[in-house]
Amino acid sequence: MIEVESLTKHRAGLPVLDAVSLRGVDGGVTVLVGPSGGGKSTLLRCLNGLETFEGGGITIAGHRLAVGPHSDVGLHELRRDVGMVFQQFNLFPHLSVLDNVMLAPRAVLKVPAEEARSRALDLLNRVGLGSFAAARPATLSGGQQQRVAIARALAMRPRVMLFDEPTSALDPSMTSEVLDVIMDLAKAGQTMVVVTHDHGFAKRAATLVVELVAGRVARQGRAEEIL
Amino acid sequence: MRHVIPRGVAVVAGGLIAVGVTLAADLDEVRRRGELVWAADQEGGGPHVFPDPADPRRITGFEVELADLVAGELGVKARFQQGQWDRLPLLLDQSADCVINGIELTPERRRDYGCSRPYFGYALQLLGRRGSPPATFADLTAAGPSGLWRVGVLTGSAAETELRSRAASGELHVEVIGYDGTLDSLEQVQSGVLDAAVMDDCIFTFYADRFAGLRTIDRPFAGGLYTVLTSKATPALVAAIDVALGRLIANGRLKSLYDRWDLAGRQQMLMLRDAAEIPPARRRSLGELVRQSVPLLLSSAGMTVLLSCAAFPLAIAVGLAVAIGRLHGPTWLRPLLTGYVEVLRGTPLMLQLYAIFFLLPKIGLALPALVAAILGLALNYSAYESEIYRAGLKAVPLGQFEAALSLGLTKWQALRHVLVPQAVRIVMPPVTSDFIALFKDTSVCSAITVIELTKRYSVLALSTGRIVELALVTAVLYLAMSWPLSLLSRWFEARLERTAGPTQ
Repeated sequence: MIEVESLTKHRAGLPVLDAVSLRGVDGGVTVLVGPSGGGKSTLLRCLNGLETFEGGGITIAGHRLAVGPHSDVGLHELRRDVGMVFQQFNLFPHLSVLDNVMLAPRAVLKVPAEEARSRALDLLNRVGLGSFAAARPATLSGGQQQRVAIARALAMRPRVMLFDEPTSALDPSMTSEVLDVIMDLAKAGQTMVVVTHDHGFAKRAATLVVELVAGRVARQGRAEEIL
Repeated sequence: MRHVIPRGVAVVAGGLIAVGVTLAADLDEVRRRGELVWAADQEGGGPHVFPDPADPRRITGFEVELADLVAGELGVKARFQQGQWDRLPLLLDQSADCVINGIELTPERRRDYGCSRPYFGYALQLLGRRGSPPATFADLTAAGPSGLWRVGVLTGSAAETELRSRAASGELHVEVIGYDGTLDSLEQVQSGVLDAAVMDDCIFTFYADRFAGLRTIDRPFAGGLYTVLTSKATPALVAAIDVALGRLIANGRLKSLYDRWDLAGRQQMLMLRDAAEIPPARRRSLGELVRQSVPLLLSSAGMTVLLSCAAFPLAIAVGLAVAIGRLHGPTWLRPLLTGYVEVLRGTPLMLQLYAIFFLLPKIGLALPALVAAILGLALNYSAYESEIYRAGLKAVPLGQFEAALSLGLTKWQALRHVLVPQAVRIVMPPVTSDFIALFKDTSVCSAITVIELTKRYSVLALSTGRIVELALVTAVLYLAMSWPLSLLSRWFEARLERTAGPTQ
């Protein structure tokens, strides 16, 4: 479902990604590790078209991304099937928690209001935040906000979920509540790509670990081989 | 270096405010200075005072020559002081010794100012388009083809007073529309916006070649006399001017001046010789003043509210669209929108209103004054609003846009559901403050005949001479309107702070 072939990207003339190739695990968790600046987040952002690249190609959830500017229509289609969770949550501060989760199904999939609402409430219950539906994001803790962000991405029923350092912005006391949610998703067979520095989590969750160093795949294999 | 205001000046300034004495120099001071400062508006045009076509830095006109003659009789030089015509009398308390600029001698002026003996007799002339009604002055006593006849006049002129009183008494079926420029009404008759105009016949005679499509209708229907206006505080000066004028009439120099300007010198001299004395008007009590002026001021305040409340939502809508276009629109569109903003921000609102009101009719698009005013205000403010919204949109973190896109929203959906709602909250305080600014800028619309609060104030203040009292009433009305706006904006801000904190 995820295939990256010789992906090459430059920034200011320097290679950020240098002929990266990998194949994600269908129904499994692909974990990207490596030192800061190694290209993990850039690769992840290429996977849903937030970044363009100069060489190679990507196939993800049946969509194809090629070199050069992406077409708006193509990206729009791709992103319905590929969800993303950011390091900084990026919840919409002017909307309630429930409206954050309902917005995309209503606006993009044109799901009727009642159906979108019950689906959103189910997801919020699933991440343990059903009672916070009416709250504003700013009133939630970081861990709670990140769980809302996960519910928001899941509301589109994506075939692939991308996580960009989902616990890096959190106090250590809050990382487990977020990781537990991600682990639950993994057990349910959700195809995921996770960028993380948390080796403990990588060991527990990863089906495949890929180490990126200086824009190249240094090693890849099962967690116990790499970490 | 520290600037210290001398105590004497402060005391005099206090006295000024308290009892309304003036600083205008009396005759001795004029002689000591060696200059008679006379005020006029060169925009008022010929044949009175206008820029010399041969050298526009100089002014010329029969009143320029008259000022030189009068100053010569007083043994001093004449120095010109520019002012806006309908506010010239206010300069008497500031920088001018006298006003010589087609100021009609009226009972109210006799009461409020020092008026010299008349120096010129004027006649009010009705003007229309060739081949269009009205055909005679008498036609104005019945309704025109589309109701009231629309007749333009110079704001504050004898023509305006005369027509308004005849309209109020029911004698004439006319809607009187006041313009700030002497020739504005002629332009509007020529372009078909007005049915007719009324002005001093000598002005039309002077400019007739420029308005070949216009014609005089009947003989002049009313007339009056021009006076040299001075402050009541300078009785010696006005007496000296009277003596000077008497000598100029007796020695024939005034007649030959008028003959040189083709103003029928002999006829003028006969009129001046036989001019009857006009008694000063009675000063109204404060109670009377309030009873008569407050309803007028209130209705003009309503116009101020109407202008701002109609123009501002338009300005916001256009401004937001321009801001979005500049940030997210097609590449070819962006420089055009930048040009739009720069042109509208970089040129005065007054010019834009003039262009909409006076130039559009020339290409066949005549807008009613109210519509032109709302459109002008909306366009002008849309440029400012677009800059505010542009800043607001840029202030929303990029992560918000990326999060919306990654959920599958299109760029426009992301703008509509995520970026714009947040930008609107961010820019609420500057936008509210702009609304208050627009609210006060509505006063510029008087340039295109829309009478709002400030214009009503200046007309009333000049006609009654109660400048300070009416200024207080007007200021209270403005505050009563803008204060609630400030409260509203503070309430908005407080509400937004409660509902939308930072994301992280």
